[in-house]
Amino acid sequence: MRDKGVGATMRDMVVGSQRRTELLRGVLDLCLLAVMNEEPAYGYEMTKRLRERGLAIVGEGSIYPLLGRLERDGLVETYRAASDGGPMRKYYRPSSTGRLALALGVSEWRAARDAVDAVLAPVKVEVIHE
Amino acid sequence: MSDFIEQCRSEWRRLGVPDPLAEEMASDLASDLSDAAADGVSAEELLGSSAFDPRSFAASWAAERGIIPAAPGRRNARRRPLVLVAFTALAALALIVAALLLLTGRPTVAVAVSRATGARLPTAPPAFFVPPGPSRQVLHTSAAAPVAWLLLFLAIVALGFAAWLWSSWGRSRPPSVPA
Repeated sequence: MRDKGVGATMRDMVVGSQRRTELLRGVLDLCLLAVMNEEPAYGYEMTKRLRERGLAIVGEGSIYPLLGRLERDGLVETYRAASDGGPMRKYYRPSSTGRLALALGVSEWRAARDAVDAVLAPVKVEVIHE
Repeated sequence: MSDFIEQCRSEWRRLGVPDPLAEEMASDLASDLSDAAADGVSAEELLGSSAFDPRSFAASWAAERGIIPAAPGRRNARRRPLVLVAFTALAALALIVAALLLLTGRPTVAVAVSRATGARLPTAPPAFFVPPGPSRQVLHTSAAAPVAWLLLFLAIVALGFAAWLWSSWGRSRPPSVPA
């Protein structure tokens, strides 16, 4: 009976991948601004940089509409240049407004992360597999 | 993947995206998909769930870039409350004005009912006259009263309509999600 209750509770909770998707959705624009701030990048290059840091965006939808929004809002500048031995690509880099937005966003993220950590850090959960 | 890009092109054409911009997006997408394939990365890994819905993907990309108007639902969702608030406020104002007109003015309305007995009706000239029948009604009123009553009626109808719009808006609102 107890196991069944726990199982039902777990089913009702958002499963890990969905939670990860929701969390990432709110900060993906910051992540894109951050990786292009290191060095201008085109779409797929940004995806690669994110993946190299363990941030696969499967399930989050494409980054392209998000890049379009950043461009429309004046947070990025674009230019076309040939990639290494490849075709002409559209490169993105943060504008001055984008760098300011990145700084503010990082500050907000850290504040939110610290607050959540303060709540969750003391939690000690032991999961027993039977 | 060429099929995916062709469907995107088709959607951009349908939405009226200028050819140079459509070509630019298609070219970037094709290059990225090609690079991804060379790295062994699937289209789904690059595009997420959009890989299965090229038309929505294309429309979303163009809309986010500001090339085409945003989907009506999203814009209206922001604008509608303002319109509704204004409409509701106007209806409420009309109701108050009508009520004040009716409450502060002289008694201006009297209704007389006469059955078909030939009873004499009041002597005041009727403003509205219902053709004779088994019973007839004559509404005596001043010149201002019909306007006040009409305003009251319209205000009540408008408030009812506003209530319906609010409830329908509340039902149709998408759940809020992080941007």
